[in-house]
Amino acid sequence: MSQEAKSIRQKKKKIVAIAVIAVIFVALVIGIVFTDPLYSNPEDISEVMNDAVLHGENKISLFGLEVNPSLISAIAVTILLLAFAAVVRIFFIPRFKRIPGKFQLFIETIVGMFDGLAKGNSPHRNGFLGAYIFAAGCYIFVGTVFELVGIPVVSTTGHSVSLPAPLADINAAIALGFLSYFVIMSGGIAGAGIRGVGRTLKDFSLPISMSFRLFGALLSGLLVTELVYYYLELSFVLPVIVGVLFTLMHALIQAYVLVMLTSLFYGEVSEPYHKKKKEHKHAKHTHNDANAVVQEV
Amino acid sequence: MPLNIDWQQILLHLFNFLILGIGLYLLLYKPVKKFMKKREDTYAEREEKTAAAVSDAEKTREEYEKKLAAADEEIAGLRKQAALDAENAGKAIVGEARADAEKIVADARAAAVKEHDRIVGKAGDDIRDIVGKIAEKVGTSNDVDAAYEEFLAAAEKGKKDGKD
Repeated sequence: MSQEAKSIRQKKKKIVAIAVIAVIFVALVIGIVFTDPLYSNPEDISEVMNDAVLHGENKISLFGLEVNPSLISAIAVTILLLAFAAVVRIFFIPRFKRIPGKFQLFIETIVGMFDGLAKGNSPHRNGFLGAYIFAAGCYIFVGTVFELVGIPVVSTTGHSVSLPAPLADINAAIALGFLSYFVIMSGGIAGAGIRGVGRTLKDFSLPISMSFRLFGALLSGLLVTELVYYYLELSFVLPVIVGVLFTLMHALIQAYVLVMLTSLFYGEVSEPYHKKKKEHKHAKHTHNDANAVVQEV
Repeated sequence: MPLNIDWQQILLHLFNFLILGIGLYLLLYKPVKKFMKKREDTYAEREEKTAAAVSDAEKTREEYEKKLAAADEEIAGLRKQAALDAENAGKAIVGEARADAEKIVADARAAAVKEHDRIVGKAGDDIRDIVGKIAEKVGTSNDVDAAYEEFLAAAEKGKKDGKD
């Protein structure tokens, strides 16, 4: 085939691609203009925002029990993660090779990362901590990204609600924050006995700060998304940045923060007690590290 | 409750997370960690084996080097000893040969002296016989010239006999 014929074909392809993009763009604009009057949200924006924070109105029925939509999200995320884990366990792990492929490398990297984080921050006791931060990290990340899917459910009042991130609900954030605190305390008891409990109780504000940090971070994302989606005109293009990029970013950041704080405090309180001054200094240093991270966050 | 905090839902979230945690631990975290640990152990074992093999090889090399050094020393000693032995043997052979040669020379000299004495003795006897015969002939014949001729013939004959 001659060069001329090739260049003509490429030009044709370009023209077709440009035409398709232009048609889609025009169709979107027409859609926006014509559908705007058709769409009317029965709720006021302030009501939507208020409900997103407090979940006072839109409840979902779970086997007859009225629960917040985030609990449904949490259950959905759990099912999703467990199904994924089961598939990996049944079909992939038995076929793991000594020299890993791409997927094996991905799984090993995630597990290795949490294991390394646990070992690095808590060298004395880290078996349980590694498993906990793995589950918490996966839950926060997948749960936060889950809001991108925006699965619609019908509330008990008959409104359509898109499932939010599980941790955008204060109850979920409190549950995870307090659970992390008790995990830290359990590490303290296992590593240093009564002294560990004392060390944990010293940071009594930790569960509250952990819970509200999570809640605040994820709620802010939810509110911005609600705000954007409330107005139909803002529902085009903008969600790519607001929805996807921001959500991905704070999913990563929040997962990292909770995991990091839990492992740092766990490492600090589970350190065995030594009478030597040097060791005491080291503990103090670790405590300072943990506090520095808290301040940074 | 303020902020719509609901203890029942907190507990439900906790329950949900516990199920997730246990499930993820059993299905993903534990088996993957186990696999990684097993692989790590395999590599550690291999490394250990390699290190042991290298150490063994090093030991064997050192042993062989020592053996080689000892063999070199032994060879040098043997060579030195052999040279010494050869020198001694050579000296002994030369000494023996010299003694043999001296003996041969002495024997030859003695034999020569003996032969000489024998020949001289025999020649004396022959001369005495010839002189006696001549004296007899000179006494019986007056012809001096004939006697002289006879003496010469007898001397010639004697010479021939001596040669034989």
